[in-house]
Amino acid sequence: MKTLFILCSSLLVLGSSGVRGIAANEEQKTKNQAQGAAPYRPEAGKFPDLEKAHTYQGELVFVDHANRRGSIRVRAGSDVLYRNAPHPFAMLPYGVVRYHGATADLRDIPLGTMLHVSAFHPPDPKISAVPMVQNPSVEHPAENHVLLLEDEASYCLRESKVWKLKEVDLQKNHGMVIATLESKDGGDGKAAEQKMTIDTATRIWRGRECLGIADLIAEGTWTTDGKKTLGGQAVRLGLTWLPAGTWENRVENQFHITDIWLEDTALQRSAQQQTGVHQALIRTRWMAAWVDAVEYGKFGRATVTATLFGDYDATLFADLAAGSKMMMNGAENTLKHAGGAYGPAHMAAKGSILEVTRVPGVAPIGSSGVQVRFETDLIIEGIRPGRVVHVRPSSWTNVAVPREEYLGDGSKLEDRFPSPAIFPKY
Amino acid sequence: MKIFLVLGSSFLVLCSSSIKLFAANEAPGTKNQEQVAEIYRPQAGKFPDIAKAHAYRGELIFVDHANRRGSIRVAGEGMFRRNDPHPFAMLPYGMVRYHGAPADLRDIPLGTMMHVLAYLPPDPRISAVPVLPENNKEKDAGHYRGAGVFPAENHVLLIEDEASYCLREGKAWKLKEVELQSSNQGIILATLEAKPSGDGKATEQKLTFDGALRIWRGRECLTIAELIAEGAWPANGKKSLNAQSVLLGLTWKPTPDGIFQRFHISDIWLDDASIQRAAKNQTETHTALIRGRWMPAFVDTVEYGKFGRATVTVTLFGGMDPSLYADFNKDSPVMINGAENTLKHDGGHYGPGHLASRGTILGVVKSPGAVPMGSSGIQVRFETDLIIEGIRPGRVVRIHPKGWPDVVLPREEYLGDGPRQEDRFPSPAIFPKYNL
Repeated sequence: MKTLFILCSSLLVLGSSGVRGIAANEEQKTKNQAQGAAPYRPEAGKFPDLEKAHTYQGELVFVDHANRRGSIRVRAGSDVLYRNAPHPFAMLPYGVVRYHGATADLRDIPLGTMLHVSAFHPPDPKISAVPMVQNPSVEHPAENHVLLLEDEASYCLRESKVWKLKEVDLQKNHGMVIATLESKDGGDGKAAEQKMTIDTATRIWRGRECLGIADLIAEGTWTTDGKKTLGGQAVRLGLTWLPAGTWENRVENQFHITDIWLEDTALQRSAQQQTGVHQALIRTRWMAAWVDAVEYGKFGRATVTATLFGDYDATLFADLAAGSKMMMNGAENTLKHAGGAYGPAHMAAKGSILEVTRVPGVAPIGSSGVQVRFETDLIIEGIRPGRVVHVRPSSWTNVAVPREEYLGDGSKLEDRFPSPAIFPKY
Repeated sequence: MKIFLVLGSSFLVLCSSSIKLFAANEAPGTKNQEQVAEIYRPQAGKFPDIAKAHAYRGELIFVDHANRRGSIRVAGEGMFRRNDPHPFAMLPYGMVRYHGAPADLRDIPLGTMMHVLAYLPPDPRISAVPVLPENNKEKDAGHYRGAGVFPAENHVLLIEDEASYCLREGKAWKLKEVELQSSNQGIILATLEAKPSGDGKATEQKLTFDGALRIWRGRECLTIAELIAEGAWPANGKKSLNAQSVLLGLTWKPTPDGIFQRFHISDIWLDDASIQRAAKNQTETHTALIRGRWMPAFVDTVEYGKFGRATVTVTLFGGMDPSLYADFNKDSPVMINGAENTLKHDGGHYGPGHLASRGTILGVVKSPGAVPMGSSGIQVRFETDLIIEGIRPGRVVRIHPKGWPDVVLPREEYLGDGPRQEDRFPSPAIFPKYNL
């Protein structure tokens, strides 16, 4: 069976030359490129420079989690958000998703969530899983391959920011909050005030409690009707967008509060819950990594060095230890496992961990900075320098993954290179 | 502009005759239809017979909420993980329920186990999901998957999560035993029974849980560690839970040891107060959505007058919060706009109110007796001085009473100027076909 797999995998690699035919995704050269200003593109096997990422914010509108892609309605300056058609994006293989201050998968993010995005031009336009942007604009940036996608709470935690609530104005079962986004340590008082809506679906988290507006009113913290000053109360928010205003009476980019975390403990509990969700996912789907080097031995033996992708919970890395056993399976840029009808372990290369090292210094976003070196007695085709693989410490339960999360026999190019044709054109 | 819409809508209607060309979605086996004893399909303008629905359940895998469709991994007798995601489309009056409250597909987290009542496509030529042979549910899908995992009944009247299903059916999960296998994962033995008291014959089911489990009690969201600290659950090993009656949220995770099918608990509601709070939150989310997107309805009759005047009777779709229906009152103003089976508004660049027919409600009638699922049983009759094309008997419309916000909608939720058939009749081609 393993021989068969090696043949099939070779076919997959060869098949990539035919991708062009199905992708229908030629990138139009922009005027800038014609003038010699080639855009920065991430390269296979290297983590890109975050400084060169384009950042934007938007509402998650569509998710195809099995192919790590989706659409986002990009916030564009003062333009009205509702008119912006959903903008397709694809996660880079090492792209990080964060939700409630913890690592997440795209499937964990509710549709409608406002997200912060750091993204790049497609690394290889020929095999982009999302349409190439012909005429980039603020609301349709050409940078649609995402390194970091995070919700408002995660963004604020990473940037050490908090929302300071100035005033709440309640009318029956909905209302308006005025707040500023400032540094947690103390703002300079110059942050612009923003108006955001709330309603009775807003969840207010305090310690282990999940409260509603009515609970805060009953406690006397908020008033039933009218305005109340909140004195710059520091909180974290979950944001979405709801339609507001008409064509004649426009309301520009006003966001809606889905969640308020009144204290650090409350958000830590949410983060702990999300961490649990993601840990369980990774223990069954394996950790993703890049192959740095392969030293071939005789009769299929090889020593492989791989860098694990970043942002997994520390407990997951701790399961990799020198001297213990592990498996490594080929994967695609979508992180789909190669093969898989009998589970990813069926065709994976198996061996012993020789060494686990942490690269000195600060690891770039996307990288864990953890390198693992292992020896196998039967190297498989998918394990090549620059390729994406999945790694499983032997202590993790061996399970098979659902059908949409592996390639199958590899006979369909679409499985490896998802077509951008699924995204509607408006 | 209103004249433009009438023309544009006529164009849309004419275009539908050429759907065949692009849908590539002929129902296999239609030639044999005459030979088949009875093939039941819902009809436009009528709510289908619930007794003829096919029931199944599965894991929500994919959602295209703008087109009210998605994919579900259907549970059968075989290896659950091997079942390809099975595309489904909501009927225009199809209802989504989550946490015991009305919901939209966008509200349901991917991975949630859902209960489904569904029918064959009403019109296979314009199905937004692939059309399968009518008897597909009887076929063994092979490869240890068994029969029933790819039912042709993929047009959904009701899709609901476990908590909603139990509330509707008057059922509850009775927790028999918990076993902590480590500090943050374990197994629960439970039975699904009638809430007041079961007959003791329900089969015990093993369900897994882990550190991501949310345990709801009143206004609290607890962790496993907190139940252990209270002494309610053991730190390790087994403890009897004495058939504690709860509601569960279920999902699925890959299972080891060759287990074909075992579900995973994402949430436990320990008391009525906690699920009521969850339902209230979901109700508010959905109420805000409908107030912004308008109430969907079927057109029952149109009585044409002179110079564009008409009196229209519609039946509002069911499953919404009662507070929404209460906003339709005699003599108050109303707007009504054409819509598609996906519930997308016609037109829309300037908001659905821009080209909608306007008028006054002449009467609101609640039909006596039992109401079919999908219908509210509420008929609204109103008169307009300028009827638009989309308002025809049997067609889907959306209706906006006085007091609801008049807002513009996001781009994916309206048709635009309507020259693209794909906007009205979403192609099933977006759904992947899996090999083995």
